[in-house]
Amino acid sequence: MRGIRSRIGIVCGLLALIFTLFAWRLIYLQVLKHDYYSGIAAEKNDRRKVIPARRGRILDRNGEELAVNIPVQLVYADGSHIHDPTAVASVSAPFLEIPVKELTQKLSTKSKYVVIRKVMNDDKAHDMIRALDRANLHGLYLEEGSVRSYPNCDMLCHVLGYVDHSGHGADGIEKMFNHELTGQDGFRWIEHDRKGREIVVYRGQEQLPENGTDIRLTIDMGLQAIAEKEVDATYKKLHPVAATAILADPITGEILAMASRPNYDPNHFGDATPEKLRNRAISDMYEPGSTFKIVVTSAAFNEGIVNQNTRIFCENGRFSFCGKTIKDHHGSGDLTIPEILMKSSNVGAAKIALRMSDDKYYDYVRRFGFGQKTGLPLPGEISGLVNPPNRWDKLTKSRMAFGQSVCVTPIQMVMAMSTIANGGSLMKPRLVMNKGEGDKMEAPETIREVISKKTSSFISQALVTVLSDQGTAALARVNGFTAAGKTGTAQKISPHGGYFENRYIVSFAGYLPVESPRLMGLVIVDDAPLSESMNYGGAVAGPVFSQIAGQAVRHLDLEPEAGSALMQSANSGSKSASLR
Amino acid sequence: MNQNRRRPSNTIEVNFLARWLVLVFMIGLAGLFFVYLKNQQHSIGDQTRGIESELREAEALNASLDAKITGMTSRGALQRRLEEGYLKLEGIRDTAIARITPAQPAEPDGVLRTASHDPDSRFDTEASPRTMNR
Repeated sequence: MRGIRSRIGIVCGLLALIFTLFAWRLIYLQVLKHDYYSGIAAEKNDRRKVIPARRGRILDRNGEELAVNIPVQLVYADGSHIHDPTAVASVSAPFLEIPVKELTQKLSTKSKYVVIRKVMNDDKAHDMIRALDRANLHGLYLEEGSVRSYPNCDMLCHVLGYVDHSGHGADGIEKMFNHELTGQDGFRWIEHDRKGREIVVYRGQEQLPENGTDIRLTIDMGLQAIAEKEVDATYKKLHPVAATAILADPITGEILAMASRPNYDPNHFGDATPEKLRNRAISDMYEPGSTFKIVVTSAAFNEGIVNQNTRIFCENGRFSFCGKTIKDHHGSGDLTIPEILMKSSNVGAAKIALRMSDDKYYDYVRRFGFGQKTGLPLPGEISGLVNPPNRWDKLTKSRMAFGQSVCVTPIQMVMAMSTIANGGSLMKPRLVMNKGEGDKMEAPETIREVISKKTSSFISQALVTVLSDQGTAALARVNGFTAAGKTGTAQKISPHGGYFENRYIVSFAGYLPVESPRLMGLVIVDDAPLSESMNYGGAVAGPVFSQIAGQAVRHLDLEPEAGSALMQSANSGSKSASLR
Repeated sequence: MNQNRRRPSNTIEVNFLARWLVLVFMIGLAGLFFVYLKNQQHSIGDQTRGIESELREAEALNASLDAKITGMTSRGALQRRLEEGYLKLEGIRDTAIARITPAQPAEPDGVLRTASHDPDSRFDTEASPRTMNR
């Protein structure tokens, strides 16, 4: 009996020892080595799954989509799940459009994340996964993504810009508002089974993505299409180096359309040359020529240096000054200020400038916004070139009066002409209506009051005569509306100094209706290979403005003015009109 | 009879055994219930994953179709189709336009007017050529 009891005692003791050892082992694994083994498990099965944020869209002022996202799938391989790379490759290669041999090499890896294809059609990607499942093969997985698409192709390309291969804005609005458009990716810690499927029960920390903000532009695609069509027609017909058109609201400073040629398709930005990528409306500077006469005449009138009755002797078109001769296209005697603008007299403009002090004149040039960036939210804007008086020579002031010795950007000229149109306020140009706030439009921002209402009204009336039969821009008239504007014809500057012979940048800047301006337009045609007698702002850029504005007023549903057709009867007197 | 000479007997303590059996049964039942719940969790998790996947696919399809529609109805695409003759612009008759702002009647002076609702041409069957030009 004692023997049995002792044997039972030994067995029990051994069992107790064994279970104690098991218990100790459990404690060792579960408690003491918890962090170590859970780390190994996490490394093998846990993954931080990125939940991509949707990039914000870019819309025009009416909500028309200009930049959207197309969902695609990124295909990656987890080498630790692939046991037979050849089998996986043979099933997936037709979907991935990669040769089996090349794919097998890529899949023969132990790495847990190897990108096999960055962009794959959504349907095709899911078909591939289903085919792999049917063959009981694993190791290829999908990650959601998207590619940017510009449905209007090359239209408005310089404003929209494009996103690079990594999804970052590389130009235009895409670049300037990349942060707002991108949003914030979310994430989720997931645990997956040996087939790579997420085990939902063990979902870890999670943060939802913050989608990017939609950017709504002030651009009106109706007007943009009109501007694009006319600029394109001009570019194809005249074969200039470049052509640019800008439409704006002179009262609020909103940019309504901005078109340049040459241009590119942002869906295929890799094919674009640097010349095509350049937004000439903000990054090109040019000598404005006669359009700049609005500055000197406004400044002199505003300062009381000239008035309605002032007559300037224009030396019959040849004015010798400091050893150089300033010439007019048509010689004139005494001219009033409106007549100087109407006939675009260089001599008259130079003589007005010479009546002003250097500092005062320079101050007005700066106050009109020249020589400084307008602050348009686009990359690559330049400030133009306006030298201060201490760097002027004896000729500078007289030449600046008719747009030489000064370089401006098209957008600066638009805003300066808008100052005349809107009663004397230099407005800040606006391209963005709001950032994800529906139809909200922020209040216009006035930079400064440049000239008085009286001055702007006087200059405005003078600019109406520019489009009369005696003016230089009869071909810029718009049926049914009284428009005002100014032509510009400037010789191109040679990089070797001086000017090119017979190479011109011609422009027309105008607005309508004069009494309550709704539309400001600028057309620039750079170096069209035309004969010298034809290459004038009034003959080349003026008609383009007329075409654009004529269609734009109908798009904007502006009511024609009674009698305006008689005042500026289209084409009737164009034969007698000078075209400079 | 001497007590020491009684045959030893192993009595079963039914109460004690029943207590333990009930306890083990309860523990077993709890374990099974735990496993059942865990399986349910996994099953619901799989359903959740399936539904999420379906939702994602639907969203992606929606976005994809949206992008296709945007592409097909973009100005560039419509312009191309217009040029190819798949689309045609049809003028709007004066009589079919109602204006809230005061009407500016079309005058026979060759001047283009904005679209207007001209009461005089209400019963005209032919669209004005000027309107067609729009």
